[in-house]
Amino acid sequence: MKVSFSVNGAELSGDVEPRTLLVDFLRNDLGLTGTHVGCDTSQCGACVVHLDGRSIKSCTLLAVQAEGMQVTTIEGLADGDALHPMQAAFREEHGLQCGFCTPGMIMSAIDLLQNNAAPTEKEIRDWLEGNLCRCTGYQNIVKSIQTNAKSQ
Amino acid sequence: MDIQGEYHIAASPTEVWQRLIDPDVLSACIPGCESMTRASEDAYDCAVMAKYGPVKAKFKTTLTLSNINAPVSYTLSGRGQGGAAGFGEGVADVMLEETSDGTALRYTARFNAGGRIAQVGSRLIVATTRKFADKFFAAFSSGFDVAADDATA
Amino acid sequence: MYQFDYQAPDSLEAALAALRENDEAKIVAGGMTLLPTMKLRLARPEALIDINRIGSLAGVTEKNRAIVIGAMTRHADVAASKLVRDRIPGLADLAETIGDPQVRNRGTIGGSVANNDPAADYPAGLVGLGATVVTDRREIAADDFFTDMFETALEADEIITAVHFPIPKRAAYMKFPNPASRYAIVGVMVAETHDGIRVAVTGAAPCVFRVTAMEDALKKDFTPDAIAPIAVDGAEFNEDIHASAEYRAHLVNVMARRAVAAVG
Repeated sequence: MKVSFSVNGAELSGDVEPRTLLVDFLRNDLGLTGTHVGCDTSQCGACVVHLDGRSIKSCTLLAVQAEGMQVTTIEGLADGDALHPMQAAFREEHGLQCGFCTPGMIMSAIDLLQNNAAPTEKEIRDWLEGNLCRCTGYQNIVKSIQTNAKSQ
Repeated sequence: MDIQGEYHIAASPTEVWQRLIDPDVLSACIPGCESMTRASEDAYDCAVMAKYGPVKAKFKTTLTLSNINAPVSYTLSGRGQGGAAGFGEGVADVMLEETSDGTALRYTARFNAGGRIAQVGSRLIVATTRKFADKFFAAFSSGFDVAADDATA
Repeated sequence: MYQFDYQAPDSLEAALAALRENDEAKIVAGGMTLLPTMKLRLARPEALIDINRIGSLAGVTEKNRAIVIGAMTRHADVAASKLVRDRIPGLADLAETIGDPQVRNRGTIGGSVANNDPAADYPAGLVGLGATVVTDRREIAADDFFTDMFETALEADEIITAVHFPIPKRAAYMKFPNPASRYAIVGVMVAETHDGIRVAVTGAAPCVFRVTAMEDALKKDFTPDAIAPIAVDGAEFNEDIHASAEYRAHLVNVMARRAVAAVG
């Protein structure tokens, strides 16, 4: 069936089966492979994107459900060569090891600061409940988010 | 995590036993059983529609009767394949004992799952098994009232 | 996932008509349980009727000393609602403990209530606060709504439109979460409503239940100590690798005492 929605600011339309997951549409049809599939059971958070500005797990949403909405993926954050401040903070604080969870972590972290501009360390850790880092590199992920929050 | 239950049936152990090994009775008592065909001496192929909450799926199940000690005890086991989702296996040890007014049927049941069914459903297995076993043995026990009614009719 | 037809009607009437048309159709609200189940091929509805486009089903209002939460209101919106936070802070707290932020951004109160998962938080919230479930055709008291594990009083073609929560004098929810999924291993809502004291437990048994012995004790003396000696029978409780039935029975008392302490 026909769908049209905006991805990273670009209006696009396509033809998808209703059973196509948003994450598969992003990766396979649009080539936006920055959004990862980790567990595929809505636990790990590697697939987090923003839907109308709110973080959601794109492995647990049908592409057709995004009809008329705005999707933002990790590819939509940087302004040309200038990284988004959250991306810059992750680079600065070494908030990634293997990098697999990083896109989801960053999309989730940006949503946190939208809701709570100055979170405590506990609030950051609580918020990251739905994002798993298989390298267990949480310490610097939390630090990266704190650094970004302080610079805002 | 074993689940136990007990039913009192107003019939002799021999009568109860005859029904315990009757495939038509078994298939009528298994919740969601849609078909049952004999695969070998003591095994049957069944199609079972499992319906629990959001789950509604058909499983091909092999039902096996083993440890047969007529008319006292046997083990009833069912192993179902859910394809990519994993598998589930239920086992019930059934014992009959003669009482003054009929037969006491006691069972001990357990269920194991593997694969993704276990990954997402382990917290529900005990409650689901209890429900399944209750339904099966309640249907089995109440079958005697119906059978008795039929006999007198 | 198996193939299915999909439609996203923009009115309740259209959704009900679509549901009546096909016995094998399923309503999808937030989809936080249904979609993972379908991905595992443990469900194969012929059609999905997506009610996310029905704007009138979402939102929080206050009416006749009750908070009315639309069925399609997300958990995150209940948790962030100033109205809920002001009038029933225990309910906002409950919504904030569900799953993770991304689940809370999609999952809805109506979906959670209709699913009646034995470890979901909302059933304890509804029963504990003496809420009423409003559907397209009637109102059902929470006490009568949750009937068994994953079973409710809803008809096959009935859709929840809202939940009415009478504003209590005071209430608190305490839960012992599974550290991975955040489902309640045991969750207890304690409330002093205008109709009396209520203690509702989720997670422990196949279905939410009230502990009347604790309610009676709290009526005489609203302190944690008053219910400390009251044990619940865990014979039919849930068991898994995380907690035995006996452990869950113990937790019911601990969580109830904490909730009473939090109510103050």
